[in-house]
Amino acid sequence: MGDSVITPPKLRLDGVGKRYPVAGAPDTVAVDNFSLDVRQGEFLVIVGPSGCGKTTVLNVLAGLDTPTSGTASIDDRVITAPGPDRGVMFQDYALFPWQTVHGNVEFGLRYGPAGANLDQAAREQRVRHTIQLVGLTGSETKYPHQLSGGMRQRVALARLIANEPEVLLMDEPLAALDAQTRIVLQDEMLRIWGQDRSPSERRTVVFITHAIDEAVFLSDRVAVMTAHPGRLKEIVDIPLPRPRGDATRALPQFQALTQQIWSLIRDEAYRAAAA
Amino acid sequence: MTAALDSRTERWWTTASVGLLLPIALLSAWQVLGTAVGTPRTPLPLNIVKAAAAMIASGDLPAALLQSLGRVFGGFLLAASLAIPLGLLMGYSRSVERNLDPVVETFRPIAAIAILPLAILWLGTGTSAAVAIVAYAAFFPLIVNAVAGAKNVNPTLLRAAATMGLDRMTTIRTVVIPAALPSIGIGLRIAMGVGWTAIVAAELAVGAKAGGGGSGGIGQMMFVFYAYSIELNRIIVCMIAVGLVALILDRMLRAMMRRLMPWAIQ
Repeated sequence: MGDSVITPPKLRLDGVGKRYPVAGAPDTVAVDNFSLDVRQGEFLVIVGPSGCGKTTVLNVLAGLDTPTSGTASIDDRVITAPGPDRGVMFQDYALFPWQTVHGNVEFGLRYGPAGANLDQAAREQRVRHTIQLVGLTGSETKYPHQLSGGMRQRVALARLIANEPEVLLMDEPLAALDAQTRIVLQDEMLRIWGQDRSPSERRTVVFITHAIDEAVFLSDRVAVMTAHPGRLKEIVDIPLPRPRGDATRALPQFQALTQQIWSLIRDEAYRAAAA
Repeated sequence: MTAALDSRTERWWTTASVGLLLPIALLSAWQVLGTAVGTPRTPLPLNIVKAAAAMIASGDLPAALLQSLGRVFGGFLLAASLAIPLGLLMGYSRSVERNLDPVVETFRPIAAIAILPLAILWLGTGTSAAVAIVAYAAFFPLIVNAVAGAKNVNPTLLRAAATMGLDRMTTIRTVVIPAALPSIGIGLRIAMGVGWTAIVAAELAVGAKAGGGGSGGIGQMMFVFYAYSIELNRIIVCMIAVGLVALILDRMLRAMMRRLMPWAIQ
């Protein structure tokens, strides 16, 4: 690229639509005309009510779902298939039941290209470190069916982090955790993303959550979606200073941004709750 | 502690003795009625026990069982080495399945015993024919369960592997096969049972053709007791022996699978 004036976005969604045919009825529109650029090193959070197509957007970026209109691209290449440059944390964790905690975290490094440059000792080191990071030390030899929901979620998180992909696509990755663990892992998320590094050295994150305070705490921008059909309603900039920590949550600006986003989705949230 | 243990042992004895009550009553009734109204050839529990002791002491029963066991294992391994890879491929690839499924489903209802004439004509009356029949019988439960196992892999796991950049062969090795293992294990257990059914039938029939000659095996032994010496007690000993060996093998397979798949709740 050299001296080019504008850096191209890391991820681009250009008029992405996804409809599903329904027998004897009009198509179901999961996502309609969704356009969004995600910058290199950006932490973007998508919030919106259930059924607004958040997961579909994430799957299109992952290459797991093909849009029926529009395109998704990474570094100006159209996304047609999954790839190790885009790590995914699935909502139902997708842990391999026959692998232990250790085996699951090690999986991508051992069998995929992510660990190609690591010898066994370096791989083991990274696995152990990641397991420690998510607080699963001592549970390495357990199988997923022996773990609680929150612990499974941490295994899935560790598996994603261990692979160190350029882009992290995360579908409600902290939803099953208790409030305390959640705050600890929000801080960890920011550290892993690279909040202490310069923006060019950061990973790119697209993160789905229901929790508005979590969205504000983590993100550079919050994309607010509405449902039926899933559309992008508004993008809210989060200019809170970095690095962020406990003090951030106490800022008046933090409260104001949380309120602002809540006001964007509250009508729909109440309607959904009443339905 | 000891009191708890004592009461548990006591409970076990109570359950066991209640469970044994009916069989003992039935066996006693059989013995009494058989003695009262039966002919000299009528098999009786006490005579069966005596026959079993004699057959074990002479070494005939263990030798015949060992012969059959070898054939069952041979046919079982032959079938497994063909059916499991083929079944996994069929379950994983729709185009392979479309081509092979009609062939498998056409042969599946044809009982192993029905291919006996061909097996005897082509392979003779010895071990190779018996192994072929066991292999044929074991093939179908093995392939059907391997197909089901590979087909029912949780699609999210395949997606997870794809997002981690695994190539196709690695995905089959590290996701499809482990996911299919519990189902393959069920296939192995069914195939082992079917293998024993087939070997007894095959050896009975081969024994018939060989006119009591030396092809051996438990089925042929039964044929001799039936067609030549007419010893019903000994035939029943053979039946019980086959049942017991099959039970032991099934328990061994199960234990092996539990060790191999500690994640699968059985």
